Amino acid sequence: MRSSLLLACALALGGCATMSPPQPWERGDLAKPSMQFDADKLEARTQQHIYASKEVTTGGYGVGGGGCGCN
Amino acid sequence: MAATSRKALREPRASAANPNAPNGSTPAGALLAAALALPGMLPGNAGAQAAPDQGVIQLQYLNYRDWQPGQARMKVETPSLYALYPVSDTLVVEGGLTYDAVTGASPYYYNTLSGASIGDYRTAGDVKVTKYFGAYAVSVSGVISSEQDYLSRGGAIAVQLFSDDRNRTWTFQAGGSADLINPVNDVVVNAKRDTLEFMIGVTQNLSPTQIIQSNVTYSTGHGYYSDPYKSLDQRPNHRNVTAWLTRYNQYFTAYDGTMKLGYRLLFDSFGSVSNMLDAAWVQGLPMGWSIAPALRYYTQSAAKFYVNPPFPSGYPGEEGLYTADTRLAAFGAWTGGVTIAKVFERGWSMSLRADFYRQQPNWRVGGSGSPGIESFSARWLEVGVAKTF
Amino acid sequence: MPPEAPLLRTTFRAMAAENDLQLWSPDASRAQRASDAAIADVQRIEAKYSRYLADSVTSRINQAAGGSAVAIDSETAALLRFADHCFDLSGGLFDITSGVLRRVWDFKARPPTLPDDAALEATTRLVDWAGVEWDGHSIRLPRRGMEIDFGGIGKEYAADRAAAICIEHGIRHGLVNLAGDVRVLGPQPEGTPWRIGIVHPRRPGATIAGLELAAGAVATSGDYERFFELDGRRYCHILNPRTGRPVAHWQSVSIIAPLCIVAGSCATIAMLHEGNAREFLDAQQVEWLGVAADGKLHGPAARFAAG
Repeated sequence: MRSSLLLACALALGGCATMSPPQPWERGDLAKPSMQFDADKLEARTQQHIYASKEVTTGGYGVGGGGCGCN
Repeated sequence: MAATSRKALREPRASAANPNAPNGSTPAGALLAAALALPGMLPGNAGAQAAPDQGVIQLQYLNYRDWQPGQARMKVETPSLYALYPVSDTLVVEGGLTYDAVTGASPYYYNTLSGASIGDYRTAGDVKVTKYFGAYAVSVSGVISSEQDYLSRGGAIAVQLFSDDRNRTWTFQAGGSADLINPVNDVVVNAKRDTLEFMIGVTQNLSPTQIIQSNVTYSTGHGYYSDPYKSLDQRPNHRNVTAWLTRYNQYFTAYDGTMKLGYRLLFDSFGSVSNMLDAAWVQGLPMGWSIAPALRYYTQSAAKFYVNPPFPSGYPGEEGLYTADTRLAAFGAWTGGVTIAKVFERGWSMSLRADFYRQQPNWRVGGSGSPGIESFSARWLEVGVAKTF
Repeated sequence: MPPEAPLLRTTFRAMAAENDLQLWSPDASRAQRASDAAIADVQRIEAKYSRYLADSVTSRINQAAGGSAVAIDSETAALLRFADHCFDLSGGLFDITSGVLRRVWDFKARPPTLPDDAALEATTRLVDWAGVEWDGHSIRLPRRGMEIDFGGIGKEYAADRAAAICIEHGIRHGLVNLAGDVRVLGPQPEGTPWRIGIVHPRRPGATIAGLELAAGAVATSGDYERFFELDGRRYCHILNPRTGRPVAHWQSVSIIAPLCIVAGSCATIAMLHEGNAREFLDAQQVEWLGVAADGKLHGPAARFAAG
């Protein structure tokens, strides 16, 4: 399991070598709400809270969301 | 005094020597490079600055129902509020308030010994202040979540480092929370649980239409983890979780559509390993509408100390630890959902989201699901309205 | 919570045209300060480079033609360097000394007449950017009668300077429109792009395409600004510096580029390239919309066509 994690990391970094980062005037599309990772903060929190109460998963999205009594 | 002739200052260019030749010597973007040498030229827009310059208020209402075959339903209704206020060019304050109202019976294996229904209310609030310094930003946040039997207080600090071209951001976060558990059945009194959490992440603009983010989070906690409302539930008094999340968005200009992908791998010292994959497609429609179908697949292995039903035969697990809480069983789960949104004039927007969720042991991938437990289903609806100002 | 600020829209007259500045900031007084500073700089650039003003830098350089060199500052030197790049990149078609051809093409005469070949040939010999002696400190036009003018890049430069000043004032939403040369400095306050209409080259008041820009610039060069028609042929003010005669392949070319000065010079060069414009534009990696002589639309931005 650990080795597959390392392999996945290496693949992700290798993929980054082929990128062409945009100039400041080319970032118009990146500013679209659909392209943001957490454009709708309430929706993101709600989804994470629901899943945390039904699955063992907690977190990975950011530190400091606050606990809940769902054990 | 005559100025030195132009010809003495530089070599004749190929195109000037043969003015009738086609532009074989036109390097791409050469005009732009020449223009940038003019004094005071700032190409693009000031969106290169990281701090938001507009405030936001957002209201949301969640209506959640879940059920298992042959069992009573659980219902949750949650209004919540979020606001962001740019105090100045470099200082932003954000905060949120949530009020959860949970009613109905909890799922079969979640019942207390007395079989009682639960009615629980949770209020939570959080505040975050971010200061922008040009090449980096620092945030400080605090959160309180309070229920009848549970109180959680936490704080966190985050630092963001922006690359020179603003295409890469490194994030470092650290936080802690102190929880107090006081179950109504007094199985324990003032049980504590303290957690420390750390995250390192990077977000990179790969191209004008692609962005990727990858974070690794490590949390370590000790204290009371058992469920006081379950008969015979004894969990370890420490827990470490390592999670690796990668998300990728790509915009397709030809379709006015955005593809969103996410993958998370999580290792829990309780013994559970989980994989989560999600995908969504946001399709722009005319008049400011958009529709976004989404799918999520999740699979987890059982905790080390999870015991298959029927309980109590088959117990105890190692070190005298045991739980029958199906949240820690092995299963797979699918979510299918769709969001419809509309952007109006003057900063108003609205969204409606519906999701269906189903969890089943035989949907597990990468191992066998826990035997003898029913499928679990849920559906939730989120309605939201927001205004920027 | 701050009260909702209005969009600040200022129209002002400069460079013999109506111009328009639209800015938005949550702080209305900041938008006003930015607007005042931007308009002041546009007027400064006009006063400095207009060939109609006797004491402008351009006029002083032209009056000294055939005589001694004239000292120039770093801003003028940078503009000359940019014009020189345009000259090279266009294979000599974009030539800021070609303004002298104005003397033989009278677009205001009624009835319009074509220039006689001898006058045309004599005047074309005064078009010679390659022969101009200049460096970072001074410039000399070698022959009497030679002239430079910044007509092809001055307005666009002013639009970019105005945008830069607004961005320096912290404005993130707005646009500068100098008589159709537009530079966007950020989307509309709601985050949506600005809709910018491209003038229909044959129907005054109508638009042939609607562009949506949240950043960058658009400029158009067309045969409808100054022209006359004779025997069914149109003669416009965009003149090939070698033949001295107007171009005819395109009715107009519009360019979308990160800076207005790039958009404007590309548009003019494309018009001058006539049939070879496509190859030039593809190499510059700009988005463009061309209306050919027969009225058909070409180029990647043709997808913005109206209707």
